[in-house]
Amino acid sequence: MMASPISCSSRHSPDELPGDPSSQEDEDCDYEDRVSYSGSYSSASSDYDEVEPEWLDSVQKNGELFYLELSEDEEESLLPETPTVNHVRFSENEIIIEEDDYKEGKKYEPKLKRFTKILKTKSLLPKRYNKKNRNDNELVSILKHQSNQKTGVVVQQRYKDVNVYVNPKKLTVTKAKEQLKLLEVLVGIIHQSKWSWKKSGKQGSGERLVVHGLLPGGSAMKSGQILIGDVLLAVNDVDVTSENIERVLSCIPGPMQVKLTFENTYAVKKETTQPRQKKAQSNTNDLVKLLWGEEVEGIQQNILNTPHIVMYLTLQLDSETSKEEQEILYHCPVSDASQKLKSVRGIFLTLCDMLENVTGTQVTSSSLLLNGKQIHVAYWKESDKLLLIGLPAEDAFCQVENVPRLDHFFSLFFQRALQPAKLHSSASPSARQYDASSAVLLDGLPGVRWLTLPQEIKMELDTALSDLEAADFAELSEDYYDMRRLYTILGSSLFYKGYLICSHLPKDDLIDIAVYCRHYGLLPLAAKQRIGQLVIWREVFPRHHLQPSADSNTEVFREPEGRYFLLIVGLKYYMLCVLLEAGGCASKAVGNPGPDCIYVDQVKTTLHQLEGIDCHINERLTSSPSPCLSCADWFLTGSHEKLDNLTTSPILSRLPGTSKVATSPTCRRILFGDYSLKTRKPSPSRSSGGSDNGCEGGEGVGLSPHAIPNAVWKQRESQGSDGSEESGALLKVTKKKATLPNPFHLGNLKKDLSEKELEIYNTMKLTSGPENTLFHYVALETVQGIFITPTHEEVAQLSGSIHPQLIKNFHQCCLSIRAVFQQTLVEEKKKALNRGDHSGSTNSISSLNPVKEYGVLFECSPEKWTDQRKAPPVMAYWVVGRLFLHPKLQELYVCFHDSVTEIAIEMAFKLFFGLTL
Amino acid sequence: MGEEGTKGTVHLLCLAASSGVPLFCRSSRGGAPARQQLPFSVIGSLNGVHMFGQNLEVQLRSARTEDTTVVWKSFHDSITLIVLSSEEGTSELRLERLLQMVFGAMVLLVGLEELTNIRNVERLKKELRASYRLIDSFLGDSELIGDLTQCVDCVVPPEGSLLQEALSGFAEAAGTAFGSLVVSGRVVAATESWWRLGTPEAVLLPWLVGSLPPQAARDYPVYLPHGSPTVPHRLLTLTLLPGLELCLLCGPRPPLSQLDPQLLDRWWQPVLDPLRACVPLGPRALPAGFPLHMDILGLLLLHLELKRCLFTVEPSADQEPSPEHRRRLLRAFYTLVTASHFPPEPGSPEEKVEDAAQRSQVPRACYLVSGPEEPGTGWRLVALQSGPRRLLLLSAQSPTHALRGLATHTLHALTPLL
Repeated sequence: MMASPISCSSRHSPDELPGDPSSQEDEDCDYEDRVSYSGSYSSASSDYDEVEPEWLDSVQKNGELFYLELSEDEEESLLPETPTVNHVRFSENEIIIEEDDYKEGKKYEPKLKRFTKILKTKSLLPKRYNKKNRNDNELVSILKHQSNQKTGVVVQQRYKDVNVYVNPKKLTVTKAKEQLKLLEVLVGIIHQSKWSWKKSGKQGSGERLVVHGLLPGGSAMKSGQILIGDVLLAVNDVDVTSENIERVLSCIPGPMQVKLTFENTYAVKKETTQPRQKKAQSNTNDLVKLLWGEEVEGIQQNILNTPHIVMYLTLQLDSETSKEEQEILYHCPVSDASQKLKSVRGIFLTLCDMLENVTGTQVTSSSLLLNGKQIHVAYWKESDKLLLIGLPAEDAFCQVENVPRLDHFFSLFFQRALQPAKLHSSASPSARQYDASSAVLLDGLPGVRWLTLPQEIKMELDTALSDLEAADFAELSEDYYDMRRLYTILGSSLFYKGYLICSHLPKDDLIDIAVYCRHYGLLPLAAKQRIGQLVIWREVFPRHHLQPSADSNTEVFREPEGRYFLLIVGLKYYMLCVLLEAGGCASKAVGNPGPDCIYVDQVKTTLHQLEGIDCHINERLTSSPSPCLSCADWFLTGSHEKLDNLTTSPILSRLPGTSKVATSPTCRRILFGDYSLKTRKPSPSRSSGGSDNGCEGGEGVGLSPHAIPNAVWKQRESQGSDGSEESGALLKVTKKKATLPNPFHLGNLKKDLSEKELEIYNTMKLTSGPENTLFHYVALETVQGIFITPTHEEVAQLSGSIHPQLIKNFHQCCLSIRAVFQQTLVEEKKKALNRGDHSGSTNSISSLNPVKEYGVLFECSPEKWTDQRKAPPVMAYWVVGRLFLHPKLQELYVCFHDSVTEIAIEMAFKLFFGLTL
Repeated sequence: MGEEGTKGTVHLLCLAASSGVPLFCRSSRGGAPARQQLPFSVIGSLNGVHMFGQNLEVQLRSARTEDTTVVWKSFHDSITLIVLSSEEGTSELRLERLLQMVFGAMVLLVGLEELTNIRNVERLKKELRASYRLIDSFLGDSELIGDLTQCVDCVVPPEGSLLQEALSGFAEAAGTAFGSLVVSGRVVAATESWWRLGTPEAVLLPWLVGSLPPQAARDYPVYLPHGSPTVPHRLLTLTLLPGLELCLLCGPRPPLSQLDPQLLDRWWQPVLDPLRACVPLGPRALPAGFPLHMDILGLLLLHLELKRCLFTVEPSADQEPSPEHRRRLLRAFYTLVTASHFPPEPGSPEEKVEDAAQRSQVPRACYLVSGPEEPGTGWRLVALQSGPRRLLLLSAQSPTHALRGLATHTLHALTPLL
C-alpha cells in the first residue's frame, strides 16, 4: 500500500503524456476510480437518459458485459487501515485532484479493471509498480521489495520473473514489417495488437503486452513458466509496452539471459478470442479472494498440487491429421498433478465408447487411484463430445456421495449451454473445494436458496417485478417509438444478499440463472458486500427453452428460433436477474447486441423502488430464526451406557404417524414393556429445562466450550433426583414442561421480542415437544426450484463447538441420502416410461427402491475432552431425509436431537405450508 | 443377445495380467448361471484400459454407467479380475468384495503359486475349472451372505454345548485342531482353532462344502488363501446326516480311512437328537421357538469382531415379500449402510484406519422406509450398531418411530446367541 502513491506520482512524471488514456494502468487509478464512481453513479441513477452509462465502454464485441463496481463505502472499507507515512498521504491527495482533470479521458478506461483495483486496495494483490520513469528505478525497487515481504507468496504468484536466454545473433535478417516481430522471434512470445474495433486512439501506444501465444521451440516456451494470458511488464526491469518493446529488445547486444517480468492473467480482458474464459477465471479467483482473504493463495497452491482436471474431448477423430492431443478441445488446469490425468484420457475415451456399446447406457463416472489418492471422474457425453471432470475423493466423502454430486454438477452445467459450461467448470473445481461444508449439498440441489418473507413484503416485491415485466413503461411501449420492442421480458427474479426473495421465472430458468450467479460468485458477493453497481449482459441458452431435438446428431447445438439474453443488475444487496427473449413477438436480434440502456435502467429503477423494503428484509434476516433452531452444544450431557442410551431414546416413542394403522397391539405392548424396564433418565434438554437454568445454559455457550458441559453436568446433577422421581413418567415430564416457553431462546428473545412476536415464533417451532430440538433443516421444493434452509445469520447466532461439525455432518449425510432418493426418482421415471408392460416389476425386487424416508442416528461428543475421570458427554441426533413424490416433488432434510418425537411428514407439512413463490 | 439386453447380468472375467489371456469368464443372469458371454473384443478392451492406466501409474478402479458397474482388481500383479454387473442396486462395495472372494476361491482350489507364477496358461485354465462351481455360487443368488459381509454364516443350534463337546472330542481323536459342523453352508459348531481361521478361508470353506454335490465323504485338497496359500491342506468331510456335514482340516494325517464308522459312532451317536434338530435349521438360523417379534421378516446380525453372522429371512415366511426378495432387500440395505454410514468391518481391506479415528460423529442407527406413498405399504429396514454387533432388520408393518425400539429389543434378545 505504501508504495502505491509513489507509483501514481511516478506515472505523472514528465516523460509521459498526461491525459493519454491508454497509458493509464489499472494499478494507479484507485483513487480516481472512487471519485469518478461517485460522480458517475449519481448521474446514472438520476438522469440516465442524458449521461452515457458508465458500463457502456465495457461492453465487449460480442455484446457481453460484465461490469462490477463495489459501493463506495465498501471500497473504503476495503482500503487497509494501516496508516501510511504522512507525505505519502499527501501525494495521494494530489493524485486525486489531478485525476479529476482526466475525467474526459477516463471514458476509455477499461472499467472491468476496477474489480482488480479493489482487490489491490485490499492489498490482496501486490502492487506492481510501473516505472515510467527509469530514474525512479531504485526507489521503486526498494518499495517493491517491501511489498514483497508483506504479501509473501502472493507476489510470486502474481508477478513472476522469468529468465530467458535470447540470442539476437541467430536472427536472420528480416525486415520486421510486422509490429512486435522481435518479441516473437527473439523471445518466442506472440502478441497480437488490439482489435481494430477499439478506439483508434488506443491502438499501438502503450498497450499492455499480453502473451497471446508461444512460439513452438521459442525460449519462452522452453522456460515453461510463461503462460498464455500473462502480461509482459518489464524486460530486465525496464518497463515495456507494445510501444517500446521492439526498441527495448533491439537493444540486446548479444546472447544473454534476459529477465522478463510478467503479471499473471489479470486486467487485460479485452481480447476477443476467449475473453469470457479468462475473465471468468480471474473474476472467480478475485471473488474467491475477496471472500476468503489471503489464505486463498495458499489454498490455491494446494489445489494445484491435488490432481483435478476438466477436459472437453471430441470423440470424432480426424484420422488424417495426426496431430498430438487433437482430441482435446479444451482442458484445464495445467499442472503436474493434472498432467497425469490428462495422459490417461485414453482410458476415459475407451470406457466411454466401449461401455456404451456393451451396456447401452452412458458412462457416468469412474474412479481410479493415482499416487494413492482416489480420484473420481465424471463423464458427460453430448453427441460426439465428452466432458470430463476429475476430482480427488476427499476423505470426508465416500464414493457414493461424490458421484451423484459430480454428476449433478455436470448436468446442470452442460445443459446450460456449451460454452458457458466449459468456462464454468474450469473455474469451479477449485472454487468448489473451498466452499463451506454446506455447499457440498446445497450446490447440488436443483433449487435456489429462498428466503421466506412476510406476506406484505412479498406483495410489494411481486408488484414491483410484475410492473417491470409488464414492460409498458414509456420507452418500452410499442406505441412510443412505433416499432417492435427489442425484447420480451420472460421473467425476473430478485435476490437479496444472495437469497432469492422473489421470482417470476419458470423453474428451469431460475435454476440456470442461479447456477450462473453462483459460479460467478455473485451470490456470495452480494451477501457480504454492497455492490455499487453490477451490470451483466450476455446471451444465454436456457435448456428449458432449447430442448435440442433428438435427431440432430451432427449439430451439437441447434440454433433456436428466438434468442435469449440474461440481464443481471445488482445494486447494493439486491440483484435482479431478468431473462429477455428476442424473436418471437419481439423483434429479432441481429448480431451480438449489447445491453440496451433502457432495459438496464428500467431494471435499475425497479431496484431503486425496492430500496425502501431493504430494512424489512434485513429485519427478517436478523430476527430470530424461524422455524427456530437449537445449538447442538446445548444438548451435550454426560454419557450413559451406550446401549442404555439407545434403549431409552424416545425415538421409539415417536407418535404414530403415517403408518399408525399398522401398529399391532402386541407390538406396542412389547415396546412399552421394554420401556418400563428401563429407568428413564431425563434427557439432557429436559434436565436443563427449568427456565432459569435454560437461560444460563444458553448464554454459557458463547463463553467457553468447557463451561457448557460442566454447566450441564451440574444441572443434571441438581435435577438428577428430580428426574429419577419422574422415571418412567415420561408423560408427566412433558406435561409439566409444556407450559414453559422454550428455555433456550429466552435469553436472546427477552431483549427485543415482544410478547406477540414470541407467539408467532413459537408457532413456527418445527419440532414437537416442549423444547425446540431442531438443529438444522433443508427443504427443497423442486416444482418451483427453491429450497429453504436457515440463513447464514441464523446459523451464526448458534455458535458453539459441536454445532458446526454437526452441520457439516448433516450436509454430508444428506448428500448420501439424496443419492438414494435420486435412484428412487430414476426408478419412478422408468416406471412412468414403461407403464403398462410389467417387465420392470421383476427387476425392482433386487433394490431398495422406492425409498421414501431415510434416517441416520449419529452420536457425537466434544472433540477436546480433558476431564479424564468422566467419559465425554454424548449427544445423539437424527438426520432424516424424506422424499415426497405426490402431489409434487419435495425433499426435506432435518436434523434434530434424539430426545424428540418427530415425524418427518409433520415437519414437512409445517415447513412446506405456504411455501410458494 | 438376449431379448432384454444386458439387464440383470453379471459377467466375471479373469485374465492373466501379463499376457492378457482370458483364463475364464463366468456369467450369471437374474441370479442363475448363464451361458451368455461378452465378445472377445470387449474383454480385450476392458483389460486394455486397465493395463494402459497401470503402465502410467494410474490404477483404474471402477466405472459406472447408468445401469452398469464395472470393477477392476488385480491380484499379485498376475491375475486381473473384472466384474461387470448390471444387476439393480449393485454397488462397488459388493463387487469389490465379490472379486476378493473369487480370488480367494481361486487360491483355495489352485494355490497361490500357480496363480502368481503362470507357466502354462492352458494347464491353469484347466485347473481353474474346479473352482467354477464355487465361483458361480458367488455370482448367483445364494441363501448365504458371507460373500458380502465377509463374516461366517452361522446357525444357532438348540443344544450347542453338546455339539461343541462332541466336535472337540472327535477332532482331538482324529488328530486335528480344526473341525466344524456345517449345515447347508452354515457353521453350526466349530473348534476354537477353526474359528481362528483367517478371513477368506473361514467364509470359503463352509461355502465350498455347501456348494459341492452331496457325498458321503470327501478328501479335498485346499490351500488356505490367508493361512497357507502355497502349501495345501486336506479338507475331510463326512456326512453325518443328509445336509449336515462334519469338516476337518488337517495335514497329511490322518487318512480318510482312519475315520471309521466306529469312531464316528462313538462321538456322534450320543448327540444324534441335537444333530437331527440342526438339519432343518439351515435357513432359519435361529433355534425353533426363539421369540422374535412377529413384525420381523428378516434379520441379519453381525458380530464384527468374531466375524460371524446370522442371516435369516424365515420369520413369518407366509407373508408378502418372498424369501428371495427379502434376502435381496437385506443385502442391498447392508451394502448401503456399510458403504455410506457405518465404518467397514475391522480388518477388511478397504478400511481406512484414520478415517474411523477422525470421525467424531459416529453413526449409531439408520432406518429406511421404502415403498409407495400410501401408509402401511412397503417395507422398513433398520440397522443398529452397538459395540461389535450390528443388526439389520426387515419389517413390513412397524411404524418408523417404533423401528429403533424393535431393533434394540431384538438385539438384546440376540446378544447371548452371538
